[in-house]
Amino acid sequence: MEMTTSLFPWITNSPLIAVQVMSGLSVGMFLFLLSVGMSLIFGVTRIVNLAHGSFYMVGAYLMAALIEVLPGNPVSFWIALLLAPIGVAVLGGVIEITLLRRVYRRDPMMQLILTFALILIIGTLVLLVWGPDNKSVARPEALAGSVRILGQPFPSYYLLVLGLSPLVAVGLWLVFYRTRWGMLVRAATVDREMLGALGVDVSRLYTQVFAFGSWLAGLGGALAAPTVAVALGMDADVLINAFVVVVIGGLGSFAGTLISALVVGELQSFGILIFPGVSIVLPFALMAVVLMIRPWGLLGEPEE
Amino acid sequence: MARSTVMLAAALAIALVLPLALSAFYVVLLTEIAVAALFATAFNLLMGFGGMVSFGHAAYFALGAYAAALLAQKAEWPMLAAFAAAPLVAAFGALVFGFFIVRLSHTYFAMLSLAFAQILYTIIFKWTSLTGGDNGLLNVWPPAFLRSVTAYYYFTLLVIGACFLALHAIVNSPFGYALKAIRENPRRARFIGVNVRRHQLCAFVLSGFFSGVAGAVFAFHNGSVFPDFAFFTKSFEPLIVVLLGGMQSFYGPLAGAFGFKVMEWLISRWAPIYWPLFLGAILIVVILVLPQGFVGLFERRAWRLRAVNGKK
Repeated sequence: MEMTTSLFPWITNSPLIAVQVMSGLSVGMFLFLLSVGMSLIFGVTRIVNLAHGSFYMVGAYLMAALIEVLPGNPVSFWIALLLAPIGVAVLGGVIEITLLRRVYRRDPMMQLILTFALILIIGTLVLLVWGPDNKSVARPEALAGSVRILGQPFPSYYLLVLGLSPLVAVGLWLVFYRTRWGMLVRAATVDREMLGALGVDVSRLYTQVFAFGSWLAGLGGALAAPTVAVALGMDADVLINAFVVVVIGGLGSFAGTLISALVVGELQSFGILIFPGVSIVLPFALMAVVLMIRPWGLLGEPEE
Repeated sequence: MARSTVMLAAALAIALVLPLALSAFYVVLLTEIAVAALFATAFNLLMGFGGMVSFGHAAYFALGAYAAALLAQKAEWPMLAAFAAAPLVAAFGALVFGFFIVRLSHTYFAMLSLAFAQILYTIIFKWTSLTGGDNGLLNVWPPAFLRSVTAYYYFTLLVIGACFLALHAIVNSPFGYALKAIRENPRRARFIGVNVRRHQLCAFVLSGFFSGVAGAVFAFHNGSVFPDFAFFTKSFEPLIVVLLGGMQSFYGPLAGAFGFKVMEWLISRWAPIYWPLFLGAILIVVILVLPQGFVGLFERRAWRLRAVNGKK
């Protein structure tokens, strides 16, 4: 359940401020990738999906399984990276259609308990399918080495993770603000009933959004697979991190999630430097402070 | 009411006699049922009667357990003194955290309670010199006269019976009624002169206190305490027990704890790795089919019968 070290293996502990800022930025970008799907799903469906970390875990396991199955050539890694998140998206879509759809009008507590039940079920199924042993995923050959950044050795694979995260952020922005589908999603976060009254199939939109959010979690898991031990329990790590980021930023807010992820990233990076013992408490402390002052988060909107 | 008193007396009589007939293994199971029942009933004081759902109640269970273990082991207090002090530590924790938490409502209440519990979890996890970190604290045993499984079971029964009486009195006191009024309509409660926040905080502290009792009982029963006691998955346990038993009745969590622990034991005996899967499936069934819990199922039937009789 260790927070920083296992989830962000590249985090540095350097006296150089610039290195530490970069390190925090990279943690923040990856945190954004992990949490934006959760925020998106809440924005549209008003469900806090506690199974988000479980989708991440499934993404990592699918990645490991696909690489085992696919022939050992350099292209396989990229095919697996493409397919694993799609598998998670399908899983998310199926869960939305069979279960979540029935509880949208119910008490939010029931929704939370339902997604908690999903954590238990998915966790056991992963154990049954892939067994209790940790899996490791080899990095693609081209990214197996390391490069020097500001004089510090830095594994090249992390550059992929860190490069892809901002790309995903830009891609999401384009999808939300430059496509018709994105416009519908934004409309659904504002007024679902009006959207339905205007003739949009809201039910289908919900399924799509849920699958898309799951895809993002799966992508995070697949990308992270070569950097960590793929193991049971990685779901709780991610869930708690994503939860903190999403709550601080404001549930359902895209920009809020980005800002919050970067702030939490820097907080963790400098926390390790300045308060080594208590650094992992800092994000929760920030979350508690934000909840006390602005319960709806930095850029979220108050309910009612 | 009279009927439930009779049933409770019968249940108590059975609980007293059972250890004579059962092997130690089942006595351990009964002790664990009692702990789960108290934890869930304390939790339900907030959820069922106060309308406040905490997602971080493991914090107060863990505070009780760790306070008992630390006082007994590191401060070398006698077990009963450590045991008596532990719920006060939990109640103090609930006062400090609750002061902020009760200011929020609904989802935000749940989230802030979770945030505080997670802070406590990380502190326990990291403060290795005091708490043993991930390894927990071992060899937290009661004194010789309570060492046997049966003796400890009777001790548990005594403590938890007293707590149930206290909780029952609280629920049926003017304070309990004010709490229910707040649950139904906070604004109206405020208009008739109820200090809403103070009542909520009071309920939060009481709930934390009794969760701490459950934690302390469990610490000496288990002989060890671990950071997982404060982890968020533990916070879901009383929620699940209450959900199974039904939150609208005082004894719902008791029935829920019985069902929960017996199911856990049956399934764990057969195939432990399937337990979370079953629990998840049961939760989904309860949410989709039986929102009143299993006790609700019987209560609704009883209510319907009464309605039919009334017509006659």
